[in-house]
Amino acid sequence: MTELAPIQEEELHAFVDNLLEPDRREAVRRYLSEQPDAAAMVADFQAQRDALRSIFAPIAAAPVPPALNLSRLIEERLPARRNTFWRQAASIVLALGIGGGGGWLLHANTDGNSPTGMAALAREAVSSHLVYASDKRRPVELWAPQRDDLARWLSNRLNRPVAPPDLTELGYKLIGGRLVATDRGPAALFMYDNEAGLRMTMFVRPVMAQTTGIHRVDVRDKDTDGFAWVEKGIGYMMMGPEDKLLERMAVHVKRQLDQAS
Amino acid sequence: MAGPISDIEACIPALRRYSYALLRSRNDADDLVHYTLLRALDNLHTRHDDSDVRPWLFTIMHNLFISQMRKAKVRGRHLPTTDDIPNATGPAQEDSLRWRDMLRALDSLPEEQRSVVLLVSVEDLSYAETARVLGVPIGTVMSRLSRARERLRVATDEGVRPHLRRVK
Repeated sequence: MTELAPIQEEELHAFVDNLLEPDRREAVRRYLSEQPDAAAMVADFQAQRDALRSIFAPIAAAPVPPALNLSRLIEERLPARRNTFWRQAASIVLALGIGGGGGWLLHANTDGNSPTGMAALAREAVSSHLVYASDKRRPVELWAPQRDDLARWLSNRLNRPVAPPDLTELGYKLIGGRLVATDRGPAALFMYDNEAGLRMTMFVRPVMAQTTGIHRVDVRDKDTDGFAWVEKGIGYMMMGPEDKLLERMAVHVKRQLDQAS
Repeated sequence: MAGPISDIEACIPALRRYSYALLRSRNDADDLVHYTLLRALDNLHTRHDDSDVRPWLFTIMHNLFISQMRKAKVRGRHLPTTDDIPNATGPAQEDSLRWRDMLRALDSLPEEQRSVVLLVSVEDLSYAETARVLGVPIGTVMSRLSRARERLRVATDEGVRPHLRRVK
């Protein structure tokens, strides 16, 4: 069968690129031995290929410059955002949709009034995220290995049972957590990161708001998104750089909390 | 480090090579690699399987290169300089002259043919992978490859074969 199949031009290229199965390769070789013009063309193509490979080989063999060191690129991404904190903090505008109805916008400090309810919580969560998630060396007070101590301590301070949810299924592992001071008392912040070093946070504190469902918080920062919800008198907000995944996480965490209670 | 991060790291030399072959300036080439790596890190979470990262990285680089070229066209056409030949291993003078012809011939190709010939001949991507990277059907890859090789053959006179053979 294969001996009868005529040689296509495409196969001559595949021959040059070593992409043929052994039987077709043999068939092409036989064909070329009888066709000097085709053989000359293929030999030219092979020489082109060899020349191009030799010409550009030194680039791949050269040491990779430090600017392209991958671990360095991963590390540099967090501090790069620290510089923009004050600009961001000054222009934070939160849009928090409540229920299915009309959402409302809240401009921080436009009229001197402090935001209330979930808007206040969202604003605290944004500040905490921007301050602590960009801290390379000391982002948390207690680290993941002290997870149980962390949960006990924060539960005592908030006077509510709180614990860091497990997000390993979604690619994020716990870094640790900390206590955060707010106008309305202590709050808890849990922090996670993924393999690429991207960080997300979950902000938690008691809140006097009655809403259902998960709400997107419009953080006016193109790299960060937030999702907030209330469950049994406790407000939660998750923030991080990965929009779609973050929403899934919020759903995932809310379900974990529902099951726990 | 394990998993996709170290896989990406292993591809950096090849990314530098392809980038340099397209742009022919070391600085521009490394800038393109830099942006490619940043975008890859940002989009790492969109990869939900263990498929080879190489075609994925070349796709990111190709898309960045294309949008960069579009912007450059608005500002004025950028022509690669043919005399900037990598010579880290110090090719013989004769080789370097012949390679200059080859590079000039490569530069004379339309961008779409040049990408195909480089991805296939130098980066060892399969025809299907090349088609995916460039976002074109595989038949288009084959016809571009065929035209590119024919043009290179004409542009380097009788081709580079006899001389290279003698040197080796």
